[in-house]
Amino acid sequence: MSSITLALSKGRIFEETLPLLAAAGIVPTDNPESSRKLIIGTNRPDVRLVIVRATDTPTYVQYGAADLGIAGKDVLVEHGGAGLYQPLDLEIAKCRLCVAVQKGFDYAAATRPGGRIRVATKYMNAAKAHFAGKGMHVDLIKLYGSMELAPLVGLADAIVDLVSTGGTLRANNLEEVEDIMPISSRLIVNQASLKLKRELLQPVLDAFAGAIQS
Amino acid sequence: MRWVLPDHIQDALPSDAHRLESLRRRLLDAFRLRGYQLVMPPLLEYLDSLTTGAGKDLELRTFKLVDQLSGRSMGVRADMTPQVTRIDAHLLNRRGVSRLCYCGSVLHTLPSTLTGTREPLQLGAELYGHAGIEADVEILRLLAEVLRLAEVPASRIDIGHVGLFHALAARAGLVPGREEELFDLLQAKDVPELRRMLADVSEPARSALLALPELYGGPEVLAEAAARLPQDAEIAGPLAELRQLADALGDLPVSFDLADLRGYHYHSGIVFAAYGAESPAALALGGRYDRVGQAFGRARPATGFSLDLRELAWHLPTPAAPAGAVLAPPDDDAGLTSEVSALRARGEIVMVALPGHEGTWNEAGCDRQLVKRGDRWAVVPLQGE
Repeated sequence: MSSITLALSKGRIFEETLPLLAAAGIVPTDNPESSRKLIIGTNRPDVRLVIVRATDTPTYVQYGAADLGIAGKDVLVEHGGAGLYQPLDLEIAKCRLCVAVQKGFDYAAATRPGGRIRVATKYMNAAKAHFAGKGMHVDLIKLYGSMELAPLVGLADAIVDLVSTGGTLRANNLEEVEDIMPISSRLIVNQASLKLKRELLQPVLDAFAGAIQS
Repeated sequence: MRWVLPDHIQDALPSDAHRLESLRRRLLDAFRLRGYQLVMPPLLEYLDSLTTGAGKDLELRTFKLVDQLSGRSMGVRADMTPQVTRIDAHLLNRRGVSRLCYCGSVLHTLPSTLTGTREPLQLGAELYGHAGIEADVEILRLLAEVLRLAEVPASRIDIGHVGLFHALAARAGLVPGREEELFDLLQAKDVPELRRMLADVSEPARSALLALPELYGGPEVLAEAAARLPQDAEIAGPLAELRQLADALGDLPVSFDLADLRGYHYHSGIVFAAYGAESPAALALGGRYDRVGQAFGRARPATGFSLDLRELAWHLPTPAAPAGAVLAPPDDDAGLTSEVSALRARGEIVMVALPGHEGTWNEAGCDRQLVKRGDRWAVVPLQGE
């Protein structure tokens, strides 16, 4: 029997996806916050969810281990999107990808033509593309978390990171100096799955699209 | 780290090699019976002819080296299609139709498929010299036959047409650089970004381009496309061709996707991709490319497909362990020699024992042996190991 596997990460993306799933008539049987299961069933025998790290979602879908996935635009930009369809902006888990510096740092002067700064980030591709677009040379330092610390201890001049309310930046005496792109979660689809399982996938896509509009 | 192969490069050990080779023979035999003549272009040639007419993507994927004899840049082929096109346009010089096929290793600087080989075993068929839809139908039927012979489960051929994209992109009046961006967004069905990009484009091109990613599915999408896309010759023409294909191939599992435009750099009409269950990416790609021959001095209508045999053979079951080989003693008895020939003529594998052999003959693949019974040689189960 043909079935659908949807990959998503727990936390904000899972919580904000629940209403969309409900619109498609899909109700998970477990909550990943309380359950340790990585494969979660639903009220529909032909639909299951797999709980993955946010950055891994595109990989699962690209390799066909999941037919559908829900991934932030930030993650997709880093992954590159090869082999994926990205038909819907779900408008959930919204935030912004920004450049931030320590208060008092003269960002405009540091980024004038010929300038060169050190930037700490988890988003290497997005940061590289952003500064290349400005015609600037930057030295990128890949970090895996607590980016806000880097400018405070002199590891970097600036950071590129996701900002939602700005609370963490303020608490660490940092300020946002440049917007790179708005971020929200996308529905991603494996290309072969869309061709071979359209009868199963299309109603889910349509239900999600309807739920976003309303 | 000793004897480790480079990333994305692999050996084919006996059972894989057997599977690949038997599929290769089956497919090339099927091509031959339909009049497709085998050609063997060289592994490397001068870069300018190797990447002619095929776009920047292919150039990036080509390994390059310098010819010590001429000082010119050479490339290891990353795609055999331009080579076969060169052979048709420049060497065969036939006026009418020529049907060619090929199979050989190509090399990619970056892995192009998900299983990530950088050395696909490319197999393909090309039909030159006929511009009609009949040639496309023949090629699509041949691809369906390939999928059948390779026992691809739940296969499906998905068809699009780059003419629609070119017509709509021209109407949108985009600067050349942005056409590629538009192509990438359509290819990813990235409707949200597409909407942002086309915000300033005037109607009806804008709505039509936004409709393309949604126009996929069975033959019914062609009627939907006719209703949603502007009515003019540049769009009606490609749609009519797609309808002809839908009618001619009604017995095959075909579907349509008007935003799928793989390889539009050199394709000029129908494009298609084949999918199968358990393969996360397309198994074969193809389409019409009438303009490529021009780069070799003679524009010829052309249509065809190619695929990676490794990818196609991957899902085939490991061949059932073949009946074991027969071990023959190292004896120059005339009766033995003729019995060995007779067994081999029936397709049996016969190995001759070598003196001083270490290890078991069982490990070498033998499960029976020839022994002399009276004055006759008989095959009996392998004993004494």
